Parts: sequence; C-alpha cells; structure tokens
Amino acid sequence: MSDREGQATAVATAVRLTGDGPLEPLAQPQGPGGDHPAADVAPVRVVSRRFRRQRWGMFMFILPALVVYLVMVILPSLQSLQLSLTDWDGVNSSYDYIGLRNYEEILGSGRFWNAVRNTLLLGLGSAVIINVISLVVALLLDKLNRGQGFFRTIVYLPALVSGFIAATIWKYMLNFNFGSVNTLLRDLGLGDLAQDWLGDSDLVVGVLLFIVCFTLGGNTTLIYLANLQSVPQELVEAAKIDGASNAKVFRFVTWPMLAGAVTVNMTLAVIAGWTIFDQVMVLTSGGPGFVSETMAFFIYKVGFGEYRAGYGSAAAIVLFIVVIVSTVLANRYMRKREIQA
Amino acid sequence: MTYAMVRPSSRGVGAEQPTARGARRKAGIGLAMTAIAALALTGCASGGAETEAAEKTTIRFTYATGDETWNGVVEGVVDAFNEQSDTATVQLDPLPAGSDYATAVKTMDATGNWPALIDMRDTLTYINAGKLAPIPESVTSLLDENVYGESSDGNVYVVPTTALNGEIGINIVYDKAYFKKHKLEVPETYDDFIDLMEEIKSNGDVPLATAAGEVWPSDQLWKPLAAPVFAEWSDEDGFWNAVQAGEASIADLKAPLEELKRITDTYVLQGWQSTADAQTTTLLVNGQAVMATSSAGLGRLLDVNKVDPDFEAGLFIIPDEDGDINVLKNAVNGDTASGIAISSQAAEDEKEYQAAVDFLEFYFSVDTANLIEELGMIAPNIAEADKVKRNTSIPGAEDFFALLENPNLTWYSNEPKLATFSSFNTFFRQTRIEMQDGQTTIDQAIEKAQAEYEKIAAAG
Repeated sequence: MSDREGQATAVATAVRLTGDGPLEPLAQPQGPGGDHPAADVAPVRVVSRRFRRQRWGMFMFILPALVVYLVMVILPSLQSLQLSLTDWDGVNSSYDYIGLRNYEEILGSGRFWNAVRNTLLLGLGSAVIINVISLVVALLLDKLNRGQGFFRTIVYLPALVSGFIAATIWKYMLNFNFGSVNTLLRDLGLGDLAQDWLGDSDLVVGVLLFIVCFTLGGNTTLIYLANLQSVPQELVEAAKIDGASNAKVFRFVTWPMLAGAVTVNMTLAVIAGWTIFDQVMVLTSGGPGFVSETMAFFIYKVGFGEYRAGYGSAAAIVLFIVVIVSTVLANRYMRKREIQA
Repeated sequence: MTYAMVRPSSRGVGAEQPTARGARRKAGIGLAMTAIAALALTGCASGGAETEAAEKTTIRFTYATGDETWNGVVEGVVDAFNEQSDTATVQLDPLPAGSDYATAVKTMDATGNWPALIDMRDTLTYINAGKLAPIPESVTSLLDENVYGESSDGNVYVVPTTALNGEIGINIVYDKAYFKKHKLEVPETYDDFIDLMEEIKSNGDVPLATAAGEVWPSDQLWKPLAAPVFAEWSDEDGFWNAVQAGEASIADLKAPLEELKRITDTYVLQGWQSTADAQTTTLLVNGQAVMATSSAGLGRLLDVNKVDPDFEAGLFIIPDEDGDINVLKNAVNGDTASGIAISSQAAEDEKEYQAAVDFLEFYFSVDTANLIEELGMIAPNIAEADKVKRNTSIPGAEDFFALLENPNLTWYSNEPKLATFSSFNTFFRQTRIEMQDGQTTIDQAIEKAQAEYEKIAAAG
C-alpha cells in the first residue's frame, strides 16, 4: 500500500468511526441484505444528493476568498504572461507586441544571470544555513530544563520584526563610517577588520546572506522544536536501552522522525530565498553597481525604476518557472526521504 | 456645570439637607450633564469647522523629500498658502528619503490616486501617457519665459520648483578653515584641482568624500568631469542626441571615465559605495574629509551651518583644463525637465484644478519668492525677480553667488530627445559605480553602456 492509499484509508476509517460526515452510510454492513440492490441504491442517492449539497455549501464558503484570490493574484499573474510579450512601459496605455524579444534579451543579459546566481546563492545558501542552525538551536532548546520560555522568545524575536525594519537596523549598524560594528572594531583596536560591509563587492552578498538567515531563523526553529517535542519518547528510551549513544539516537530515531519538518522548512526557506527583495532594497539597492541584485529585485528595478514593465514581466515569468521547478524537484527528493523514514 | 451650580441654590432656605449619598449621586448626574453639554458644544464647534473646511477644496501635493532645507521650504510655502487661502487647502504628501520616485508615482497611477500637484520627474514619459494637465498662462506669465517650455502639443506641463541655474548646484563643498590653515587655494583649472587633492593627501588627510549609496549622487563627481566633453557637443544638439544619431559614442567619454576612476582610487574617502548623500555633510564637518561632493548648492551650505554653525564652508565647481566652469543648462522640456506639474486626474475636477492653479500662482508670487529665500533656497526665476530680496546670510553663500557671476562660467545644453533616457541614465550610473568599484574595466563599462543605450534607443 502506498502512503497515499494509506492516508486515504486512515481518513475514511476516521470518518466512519466518528459516525458523521458524508461517508457515514457506506459503513452500513453489507450482510445478507446485499442481494436487495434496490434497498441499497436509494440511500446512496440520498447520500449523493446530500454530499453534493454540502459540497456546494462548502464551495460557497470559500467563494469570496476564491474570487479575491483570482482577481488579485491569478489574473494579474496571467496578465504578466501577456505583458511579457510586449514593450509596455508601465505607464502609457498603449504598447506593441514584440514576440519573445524580452525573453531573448533576458537570457542574453549578464546582469540577469548575475541576479540568478545571487538568488541561487541566497536561496539555497540561506535554506541550508537556516535549517542547520535552527535544528541545532531547537535541539538545545529542547534539552533546556530552565528558562525555556525566555530562550524561545529570544530565538523567535527577530522573526517578529519585518524584513524591512530589520534590514534598516542592520543598515545603520553596518554603516562604514558611523555604524556600531565598525566603531566597536576600531575602539577595540581592530580597525583593520572594519569593512565597508554593504559597499564591498566581494563581501556584500555574504553579508546579505547573514542578515537573511538572522531574520528568517525564528520560524524554522519553532517548527523543529514542535516536531522534536512530538518524537515518541518510548522510541528514544528503547534505543537507549539497546545501548545507542546520543548521536545514534539522533541519527536513527530523531532525525528520521523530523523528515516532515525538514521538508516543510527547506521548502519555505528556499521559496523565501528565491523571492528575497526587501533586504536588498534597503541595504544595497542592488549595488555597488549591479553586484547584489537578486531576481526579485531585478524584476522590480527594470519593471518600475526603468519603465520596462514588459521586460520585467518576462523576468517574473522566468522567476516563476525557476521557483516552481526547483520547489517541485526539491520536494520530490525530500518526500522520497520521508517515505523511507 | 450650570446645572450643578444652580440646582443646590434652588432648594432655598430651610430646604431639606441632602444626604451625602444623594449629594454624590446628584453631583454625578451634574457632571454627566456637563460632559454631555460639553460634548454637544464641541460637536457644534467641530461641525462649524467642518463646514468651513468643506467649503475649501483640499488637494494633495506630492514631492520628493531631500535635504532639510528643501523640506523646510515646501512646508513653509504650503503653510503660508493654506493660511491665506479661503478656497483651497494643500496637503503635503511627501515621498520619504530613500523611497523610489518612479515606483511611487507608478503606484499612484496604477491605483488612480494622483495628487493634484506633483514634483515631476521623468516628465516626457508622463506627458506622453496623458497623465499631466496643461498649466495655464495665468501661472506661466508670472515666470521668466526662459524657465519653462512648450511641449510638442503647444502646452506647458511643468514649471520650475526653484531657481533654474542649471546644474550649478553640483559642486564641491570644502572646509575653508583648513584651506586657510594650509594656504590652499580654490582651483582655477583641472590640474589645480588634482594638485590640491594631492597636497591634502600629503598632509595625511582625506581630500574628498563622495556618495554612491543611493546611486544618483554618483553624478556629483561624474558630471563636472564629463562636462567638458558634453560642452563640446552643446551647439550640435547635445551629446546624447549625437550618440543617438550615431555621431558620437560612449567611448568619447573614456577620458572622463579614466579621471573618475583615478580620483576614486586615489583621493576619495573609503566607504563611498555605501555612503548616503546626506552623510557627506557629516563627514565634512567631522573632518573625515576636507571636501565633499554635493548637488544641493546653497541648501548644502545651510545644512552644514545647521550641523555646525562655526564651520566655515565654501564651495566651487571643478573647472576644466582651460579653467572653464562648464555647467549644464536646465532642460525646460523633455524627459530630464523637472518641476511642479498638475495631474490630469485633478483636471477632471474643476475645483481641484483651480485650487492647483491658485497654489501655483501663489508659489510664483514675489512674497513667496522672498519666503523661499528666507528659508534658505534660491527662489524660482519669476518675472518680477528684481523685487526679490536675496538671502546672502548663509555662510559661504557668497561663493555660490560669485559662481553665477564668474566670467569662466560656460553654459552648455545636453537635452536628450529619447523619451526613455531616464532608463538608460539609471543603468549608466550603476555601470559607472561598478567600474569605479573595480568590478569591471573602463572599456567593459563603455561597451556595456553603449549596448544598453542602443537597445533602449531601438526600443524607445
């Protein structure tokens, strides 16, 4: 039985056991009366009608949200596809169709590929770093006997601050001339270590990676912590009775039980990384030059700042494809791991 | 309150004395009645104010915030207008420092939320899109006829916010006390300027602070260096139009680009890549650099004075090799023209449009010009300029006014006809910063900028 079949069976069983819900009559025993088909067909029709009515009721509940989502998200997204084939400047009501020229230009642009490289670095890099650090922090928090609430709050606090605000604070702290980081280094006699953190083209992407990890780590830690606390203690104790060391307990018991959390956290972190924008906007504006532009920032810059909405839409379509393909592939890999677990 | 005071006396002599509890209850009722009466009166009062406000047409004025002086001027003029106007109220709608102008305006456009008055940039783009309304003659007649221009349809869409002295505001602000102490002179030629920086450097000090954290201030050092090349094309329709026509190319800017790189590497204070424009004032006043680039002219002098009233600031413009001071004339039309415009959306409502026109008529009056001068900026070039009392009290202002009288001052034109020039301009700034930072060579920067210009010109 596959895991999906197993899930379906479990759901059906749960519904039957509770005795309410649309599948309830299916639980009627099929005994000797099974040779009276007319007696069985009538209730099934009634159930079918009731189920359809309930489904319509449920659909009506989600309809307002669905309409808003379609109008505000799906339709503009589809319109982006159309606009990506035009030379629209984003202001004038008229534009011309130019075929695939925007796509050709994007794929031949060094600036675009630099943005792709940065996005991959920030997306994958932050996903891996955040997950490793968050898992370590979650393990430490899980072992704490005192002050759990305090330390959890400390760890989660950066996640409560918006990316924009956090980036603004970091901008002040990392300012070359007046920032607290360089001032502290100079006061400690370590002036040689003072850097132009946001202006040095060799450092700036690494600094962005650090800040992104710092901001996004809270949620990831929380998810790991919740999963750690749901690991069955009897399994852990059984492993320990069998003589497993702490490392082996983690490797063979805890880690497999966290597979679902890893999938969720990695997916969320990669998507957040693909769409990094506010930190770049506030801290570097993509500079110095173009060196720290990400795909999301590139789309914004050309679409809004440079009045090339058609070109920006084409870049957005490319970003969408990158995100969907990478997320599906990553999920497929991690799901396989979950099944093995 | 009246009830509470009158009520006890109505009991008269011999009336039964109230119990303490009853007195408290009555006092409570009295207070409640008083509160109701007060609220009713307040309601009447505010209702009256609302009625009065309703008679006035309220319009928004969206403007890009800048240095403290400019922000103060806008607030001062709007307050003065609101105080004297019986028909209109102007509400300020500032775009905060660091916000992206193009995005902000496009968002207003997309949401149909145009202000009546807007501090306009990328002008041609919005004129072509039909987003601006013509400015009537009652406004333009108040101005010097050289500071506004008719668009191709014969209408005027933008009028200047401040004095159109071209890019004379792009200059070097320096520490006069340091110059006196080390017997340094304001440079008269480009070589003098390099010698000056060399001498400051030999004193163990940093010659120049500049900023590129916001991209646009990178023009402050670049433009004076490129001005001699631009000036050569002034009589031939300008450099950028020559590039568009294929008569010139970005490669013609190789010499100034080399100078830009040399100055950046040799004389500029470290950290310029992430330094914001406003920080250069602090760097100068703190003595971290002896000179700083600026594009705010008198405004920067006023800012320096606010930060440190004892600081002796002066300013000059980097001259060319022959000693000429090449300064770009303002564009009064085209994509680089800037100033105040009235939106088409406001023009759909007669009252809003009239309120916007009233404000502009007020803005270009002699009294307002005097107010602008008092607040630290040079007033727009109005027709009655001879009646304006110039503000020479800002320390260093004499240098600015002397520049306007300098016999070596050479005005040049370089107004691009390309409607999407601003797209290229942003790209070119970033390309230059990339080159200054050493990420690309000068030749690579030229090649990249040329390719981008051709692409934008072909599309535009």
